[in-house]
Amino acid sequence: MRDKSSLDKLKKGQKAIIVDLNSNDIPAKFYEMGFLPGTEIEVKHIAPLNGPICLNIIASNSLIAIRKSEAKVIIIDPK
Amino acid sequence: MNNPIIALLGNPNVGKTSLFNRITKLNQKVGNYPGITVEKREGSLTANNKTYKIIDLPGTYTLFPNSLDEEVVFNILVDQQHKLKPNLIVVVGEPSNLKRSIILYQQARELGLPAIFVINMIDEATTKGIQIDIPKLESLLKTKVFLTNARNGEGIDKLIKAFDSIPPLYIGNFSIPAQYVTPVEEAKKLFPLEHEYNTWQYLAKGNVEFLSEEKNNALESIRKQHNLTPQVLQKEESIQRNKNLEHALSTIVSKDIDSKSVTNGIDKILLHPILGYLIFFGVLFLIFQGIYNWSGPAMDFIDTQFADLAAYVQSVLPAGPLPDLLSNGIIKGIGGIVIFVPQIVILYIFISLMEETGYMSRVVFLMDRWLRPFGLNGKSVIPLISGVACAVPAVMSARNIENSKERLVTMLVTPFMTCSARLPIYIVIIGLVIPDTKFLGFNIQGIILFALYILGILAALGSAWLLNKIIKTKHKSFLIFELPTYKFPDWKNLFLNVWDKSSSFVFGAGKIILAISVILWALGSFGPGDKFKNAEEIVTQNNPSLSQEGLDHEISSYKVEHSYLGYLGMVIEPIVEPLGYDWKMGIGLISSFAAREVFVGTMATVYSIGDDADIEDDASKRTILSKMRAEVNRNTGLPAYNLASGVSLLLFYAFAMQCMSTIAIVKKETASWKWTLIQVGFMTGLAYIAALIAYQALK
Repeated sequence: MRDKSSLDKLKKGQKAIIVDLNSNDIPAKFYEMGFLPGTEIEVKHIAPLNGPICLNIIASNSLIAIRKSEAKVIIIDPK
Repeated sequence: MNNPIIALLGNPNVGKTSLFNRITKLNQKVGNYPGITVEKREGSLTANNKTYKIIDLPGTYTLFPNSLDEEVVFNILVDQQHKLKPNLIVVVGEPSNLKRSIILYQQARELGLPAIFVINMIDEATTKGIQIDIPKLESLLKTKVFLTNARNGEGIDKLIKAFDSIPPLYIGNFSIPAQYVTPVEEAKKLFPLEHEYNTWQYLAKGNVEFLSEEKNNALESIRKQHNLTPQVLQKEESIQRNKNLEHALSTIVSKDIDSKSVTNGIDKILLHPILGYLIFFGVLFLIFQGIYNWSGPAMDFIDTQFADLAAYVQSVLPAGPLPDLLSNGIIKGIGGIVIFVPQIVILYIFISLMEETGYMSRVVFLMDRWLRPFGLNGKSVIPLISGVACAVPAVMSARNIENSKERLVTMLVTPFMTCSARLPIYIVIIGLVIPDTKFLGFNIQGIILFALYILGILAALGSAWLLNKIIKTKHKSFLIFELPTYKFPDWKNLFLNVWDKSSSFVFGAGKIILAISVILWALGSFGPGDKFKNAEEIVTQNNPSLSQEGLDHEISSYKVEHSYLGYLGMVIEPIVEPLGYDWKMGIGLISSFAAREVFVGTMATVYSIGDDADIEDDASKRTILSKMRAEVNRNTGLPAYNLASGVSLLLFYAFAMQCMSTIAIVKKETASWKWTLIQVGFMTGLAYIAALIAYQALK
């Protein structure tokens, strides 16, 4: 098994598979907008100085932005 | 059924509103849902030998609400007794994100609602290389699937013909996971007549608005007993539905390898860490320029029209209090509202353009990091920017902020932004007290004006920071939003949006401005005692050498001084004296609590130059300026407008909450007198203290 990491550690252009959302109080909106275990994502843009990150959900080709603080609890398997 | 209700349900950015415009042929109106101020778009359509009521529900990703807009959708769909309970749901999706729309569809069907499914923006299927097997999709959804393109009207007629269709029986896709069966069964006993899925929704929702407190408490105790939280249940449902659909859709939807998207190319520039910000500030600059430069001629035009109308009414009607109320109170009051329409139209053209093209969510992305330390949210950018034109629509635009605390803080600080109504006052006072000289090659008056804008921004951010420390919240702040692909604006949408916003400003806020101007007129036109009644004789006796024109001005000034408004000014004089103002400025302040822009008009009346001073017009600007410059404060013996009292006035206007319409809208949007009064008290208190310190230090 490769190293598990969290979404906030990814660099621009990196791809990864979401493994789990390690939090019970994250709103359901995250799941509904596509952050589900098994989903492949790519980091498209990162706002400067710890700003939000913008991800492409590959399967639906949609762009979703979230904050670093939520990205921390999203466990991923880097590609 | 006489008027079947058809509700459009779908994610944001699927062209749902364009579809709504097509279906209703613009035969629609915008109102509010009862009790809350979520915009309700409702229209009617006559087809198939009957009249349908069409509702455009707010765009939502999920039935589980995170924001006020989404709460409305939940209530309409889940509340069995809701007045707007639809006879048919039209779920709108788009080719590249079918899965999300299908989940909404399934949830609606499992709540027992008949629904059909529409794939809008069908042209994008070709451009994005997406193939959809429609018959297979229809058998999966157990309903008809319609293909439309709302921009050119393709497929709309076919869709309308299906509004009477009754979709076949639907069996749920969602099975309640084994570990939750017991709690759901317990909860089901509370709602014996409802679907099992309704019960699940109640359990997974938290507080359900339309249920009795007793039932909500019973649900809460079931959750407690089984150690459940709404989030866990919601997560469970999302994951299960997504997994099932992923599998089912794999044989229905196929996609070519993505061609390089235009959106990605544009985003590389607009979201660039440096260039992105430069472009954003360039856009802001353009909006400012637009609001100030392009609106001038239209505002002048409106102003002259109303002044002419008032003069005409005055000339044809006999003299007396009622015609005077009509010409000076009502017509000028309405003029005072309509004059802001050009600025509001220009602002909303820009804002709608930013929303329609997809740029607004890029701004949220760029700004979130800079607003977060102040307890705000990237989405607060929209109200704060709009606040530069007018706080009323700006406060309304805070609705789509999910977190209730961030929404509240945004609404409370937005009125600090320098709105267009402050501008006339700033121009007059700066002209009076700041020398027209250059400093390092820049005009000092211009620098001060700019500094006042910065001051507004700092006050907004500073108080947000303070409020953030004070207000406690149980909801964690989060941010998640979609960056839609760039699109050319749908001009019909843009026009409608601008029209809705401007007309709701005129009719909504306008009512209050109108009422206040009538009250002000009454207070200024009547007075107790003989001095007011016999003003003409007294003035004529005291100034035998004045010309008729000069005499008229003296009389109206004498009348104001001895009107109720004048006495009111004397009463508050002790309060404003430490700030360096006399009673006349006090009257200006009182009348400014109706709306700031009233100040200049009131001052004009008080300083007896007639009440139609128009500061856009250079000649009259000189007269009001020279009158004000010559005015002596009888308490200090100094000029009334000197550096100390001028700076003090500027600061007072920068901070004080002086706008009835904003107070009314904040009350409406926060649904709380407490926060509204705290806001008025805080802003006005801050204004008083700042003005006091400035005057005492400078005098």
